[in-house]
Amino acid sequence: MSETPSYTVGIDVGSTTTKGVVLSTDGMIITKRIRATGSSASDAAQDVFQIMTQESGLPLLDTITISTGYGRRQVDFAEKFLTEITCHCVGIHHLNPSIRLVIDIGGQDSKVIRVNEHGKPSDFELNDKCSAGTGRFLEVMAGVLGVTIDMLGSIALESNNPSTISSTCTVFAESEVVGHIGSGESASDIAAGIHQSMASKVGTLARRVGLVSPVALTGGVALNQAFQHHLAADIGSDLWIPEHPQFTGALGAAVIAQSKL
Amino acid sequence: MADKTEKAYRALESQTHLQQVMFRYMLEGQHASEEGKLAWVTSGFPVEIPLAMGVTPSYPEQYGAVVGSQKVGPDLCGYAEELGYSQELCSYARSSIGSTHRPDNSPMEGLPTPQALLACNNICGTVLRWYDAISEMTDAPVFLLDTPPIDAEQAPHHIEYVQRGIERLVEFISTTFDTSMELEHLRSVAKNSTTAIDLWTKSLQACKNKPSPLNCADRFLTMAPVVALRGSDYIIEFYQTLYDEVKDRVEQGIGAIRDEKIRLLWDNIPPWFQIFRFFNGLAKRGVVFPADTYTHAWQGSIEGTDLYRNVAELYSNVYLNKGLDAKVEKMCQLIRDYDLDGFIMFSVRSCKRYSLGQLVSKELVTEETGVPGVIIEGDMVDSRAFNDAQIQTRVDALLEMFA
Repeated sequence: MSETPSYTVGIDVGSTTTKGVVLSTDGMIITKRIRATGSSASDAAQDVFQIMTQESGLPLLDTITISTGYGRRQVDFAEKFLTEITCHCVGIHHLNPSIRLVIDIGGQDSKVIRVNEHGKPSDFELNDKCSAGTGRFLEVMAGVLGVTIDMLGSIALESNNPSTISSTCTVFAESEVVGHIGSGESASDIAAGIHQSMASKVGTLARRVGLVSPVALTGGVALNQAFQHHLAADIGSDLWIPEHPQFTGALGAAVIAQSKL
Repeated sequence: MADKTEKAYRALESQTHLQQVMFRYMLEGQHASEEGKLAWVTSGFPVEIPLAMGVTPSYPEQYGAVVGSQKVGPDLCGYAEELGYSQELCSYARSSIGSTHRPDNSPMEGLPTPQALLACNNICGTVLRWYDAISEMTDAPVFLLDTPPIDAEQAPHHIEYVQRGIERLVEFISTTFDTSMELEHLRSVAKNSTTAIDLWTKSLQACKNKPSPLNCADRFLTMAPVVALRGSDYIIEFYQTLYDEVKDRVEQGIGAIRDEKIRLLWDNIPPWFQIFRFFNGLAKRGVVFPADTYTHAWQGSIEGTDLYRNVAELYSNVYLNKGLDAKVEKMCQLIRDYDLDGFIMFSVRSCKRYSLGQLVSKELVTEETGVPGVIIEGDMVDSRAFNDAQIQTRVDALLEMFA
């Protein structure tokens, strides 16, 4: 009989990127991996899993894997699949047990989760019918301004006078941005307006669930300093951001997998 | 111990009887239309009045459910959209307008042609404009029974106003169909209604038992006669058969699903195009719905000396005609009485009257009862407004809260 493995795997197949984490039973991340999900969720998960197997030098197939994210059911080597709501909650609780509200901005949705003292979700809301308030919104707007997604945040931070983007719909906001460009407003003011508008939309979702501090921000957009700034201003609260915010869901899945060992 | 080889969901034997009843409803509708005695009515209409006057009703909303179940909602709604109606319009209305416009391409070739359109706005305000549109297409006149919304108690002048509406309705039917009202006949129709509703209510209340003898889809299907044929004598036999089967299940400890673990409340109309897939999929995971706000809406009886006044009171006080407080109270009461672990609120894009206020209600119900809930978004007929993956995530997240 083989020994109980001293690590577990969490895979988060998101709409834009697939993330993987190998977690040791003493709570340390052994390795992690992220790649674009592309057209096949199962291929992306398989690829992340294989690379992590090589990098860690561990027989990952011998341990428990839990998958999460929109493509969770496509991960055929996973023992169990759980929603990103539960996994983000557990992931953030593992990193910082004091957090009571998680705001996660994914590629195609944004979610706000109330975390109870045991690290379980007690309430949540998702914005998933509309791309405003998601990473996709920023991608579209960066495209209109002709800058990369990484640059969009930095140029926004240079502005002291954000443009007004009143449309809550990505398609209409795009026309509004085109209008601002036409009337000669600077790219930095427009970029700041874009972040402010998105922060306002996410802030509304957060208020719907109920603002309880401390608040954590996760997902790829959490790395964007302009968004951090505008969201903190909108909800009137500091934000706690993990070192690797995109991996929170995968980490949570790996933490839950440890209870199955 | 449940036999794991058995299906997760146990079909009702009374369903065969239900099909016969609904087939008769369809034939009677066609016959009445040929005889010039057919009225289309809204689901919350005091149907006992036309019935007592020899006018047969047909229900476009029930037809919408059929359209949804047959998964042709996008086609029929599309026919209405081709005429210029917005995709934001209720999908029952679009199905009805679409099928009237293109009966050749519609289930059962649409509903039989009406000679009158009887709308009561106790369920929503859209019905009036919807029936106006049908009127333009069929030349059938429209009658509106106006039942202003009730916030708390119904004031006496309010009852009087609706009662005057009932009197005008009797005049309208008398003129349109060359008939008259015999109060004794109304009393006998009302008695049939009451008997059927009493039996129906008993079947609903039996779901307080564990395991629950009925699941959501069972109730949504077996409510059809109490919606479409209230007042007819032959539905009483059906509701007796159903109640006998439900009683039998309770006595033998047989549940609607194989392995009941989680008991939830359902709020709103169901997604008809995947009613079995949705509820049976959850049944496989041990989730049963012993109660819902929708099928509990047909309650109360017409009695006493002043029948019109009684009709006015009964039909003004329906679930959808009341304020948010009453809705929240109803949900809390069902959660307590049926010992439920949580709730799912379906935010139906079509049905603004039902879905409005759900965000607030969800919060209040959780505060009051301590059980969690989730809102899922979609439509009851138009599957274009229903995203499986997103709904799955929300429902899964709720179920994970019980783990």
